Amino acid sequence: MENIFLVSLFWDCFPSLLSRLHVTLAIVAAALALGAVLGTGVAVARLYKIPVLAPLAAVYVSFIRGIPILVLLYIVYIGLPLVVAGLTGVNINRWDTLVFVMIAYVINVSAFLSEIIRSAVGGVDVGQSEAAYAVGMTRWQAFRRIVAPQAVRIAIPALGNTVVSLLKDTSLAYTLGVIDVIGVINAISASTHRSLEAYAAAAIIFFALSSLLEQVFKRLERRLGAKNTGMPGQKPQRSEIATVGG
Amino acid sequence: MGFQFDFSFLLYEIGVGIRFVPVVLLLSVLPLVAGLLLGTAIALVRLLRVPVLAGVLTVMVVFLRGVPLVLQLTILYLAVGLSFDSVAQFFGLGMTSKDISATWIALVGLTVNATVYLSEVMRTALQSVGAGQYEAAYSVGMTTSQVFRRIVLPQALPVAVPLIGNNFIGLIKGSSIASLISVVEVINATLYEASGNYKFLEAYVAVALIYWVLCISVERLTALLENRVGVYGNSGVV
Repeated sequence: MENIFLVSLFWDCFPSLLSRLHVTLAIVAAALALGAVLGTGVAVARLYKIPVLAPLAAVYVSFIRGIPILVLLYIVYIGLPLVVAGLTGVNINRWDTLVFVMIAYVINVSAFLSEIIRSAVGGVDVGQSEAAYAVGMTRWQAFRRIVAPQAVRIAIPALGNTVVSLLKDTSLAYTLGVIDVIGVINAISASTHRSLEAYAAAAIIFFALSSLLEQVFKRLERRLGAKNTGMPGQKPQRSEIATVGG
Repeated sequence: MGFQFDFSFLLYEIGVGIRFVPVVLLLSVLPLVAGLLLGTAIALVRLLRVPVLAGVLTVMVVFLRGVPLVLQLTILYLAVGLSFDSVAQFFGLGMTSKDISATWIALVGLTVNATVYLSEVMRTALQSVGAGQYEAAYSVGMTTSQVFRRIVLPQALPVAVPLIGNNFIGLIKGSSIASLISVVEVINATLYEASGNYKFLEAYVAVALIYWVLCISVERLTALLENRVGVYGNSGVV
C-alpha cells in the first residue's frame, strides 16, 4: 500500500507547481480583463437592442455557453490560425500557445460576463432611470450615477462564481501544452515516474486559490451591501450558485 | 491560400458524434439523478445539523467545490489504477484494474461532483422557504412528511429547478472531461475518425454543434419545467 502515495514526494511537488502559478494567474487575469470589455460590448448590443448586432450577440452567447471549454480551446487553437491565414494571409501558427489559450478563455468568460451584466442592469428598477431622467440627467449620467452602482451590487455574487469557475477551468489549459500549475506535472512525472502525488498537490493549490477568491468576493459583497442577504422567500439568481463542470 | 474547411467531413463527423450522444447522456443523467438523491440527503444533514456527520460533509463539500473536475477525475483514475490491484488481491476478487473501464471511473467522479453542487442547490432551495412556513404547518398539526410534501417542496422547487437545470448543463459539458481519461464519448469518437486525414477542426466543430444542441434542449426543458413548478408562485396578480 505504501507505494500508492508517497507523502514526501507530495510535499516536494509544491515548489515546482507553485513556480508556474504565475502562468495560471496570467490566464485568469487576461481572461477577466479582456473578457469584461468584450462581454460589456455584447451586453450593450443586447440591452439596447442594436439591430443586427443584438441577435448575433444572442447566438454568440448561447453557442459559447453551450460548448465545453475543452472544445473551445481546440477550436481556437486549430481554427484561429486557419481563419487568420485565410482572411489576411498572415501566418500565426508560431504564436505562443499561451496566446491561443488566453483568447479561448477571453471568449468563454465574455459570454458569461455579458449575461451577468445584462441581468444586473435589467435587475435595476426602471423607475430608477425614469426618476433620474425626471430630474434632468442625461442618459449617460443616469447610467453612471444611478443604474451602474445598483447593478454592480446585484452582479457581485454571480461575478464571484464566474471568477472561481474561470480559475478552475484554467486547469484544462495543459491539454494544449501550456506549462502552468497542471502542465508542469508532466515534467515531474517524467523524472519521478509518478504523478498521483503531483495531481494531489495541484488539487490543494486550486482549493486554496478558489477559497481565497471566494473570501475576497464575500468581503466585497458585504462592503457593497450586496443584495440577497437572506431575505426569507427571496429567490436567488440563477448564476449565484456554483455549477458543476469547472 | 484560401481557408480550407471540409463541410462534407463536418457532416460525416456530426453523424459519428450523434451515435455517441448516449454516452454523454449516460455520463450526465446518471450523475444528475444520483447527485440529486445524495445531494438532498447531504443538504438535510447539514440543515438539521446532525452531529459529526454534518461537519464531515461540510468539509467534503467545501473542499471538492474548490478542486477542478479534471483533477478529481485524473486523481480518481490514477488512484484506482495504482491501488485496485492490491485491494482486489486482498479480497481475492480475481479482477485487475484493467477490468475497470474508464467509463465507470468517470461516472463515479461525475457523480461525486454532481452530489457536491446539487447539495448546495438543495440547501439553498430549502433555506429559501421561511422558518415561519414550517412553524405554521406544524402548528396546524401536519406531520413532518406532510410539511415537506405540501408546504416546503412546492415553494422550494421553483427555486431548485432552474439551478438543477444549470447543473445538468454543467454535467453535460463536464462529461467532455471524461475524454481526457480515455472514455470514448463524442470527442474521442470524432477525433478517432479525423486521425486519418488530420481534419481535426471539422471534428471539433462537429462536437461543438452537438453539445450546443444538447445544452439548448436542456435549457428549453428546464424553462418548461419552471413554468410547471411555478404555478404556486405568489408573484403577479390573482
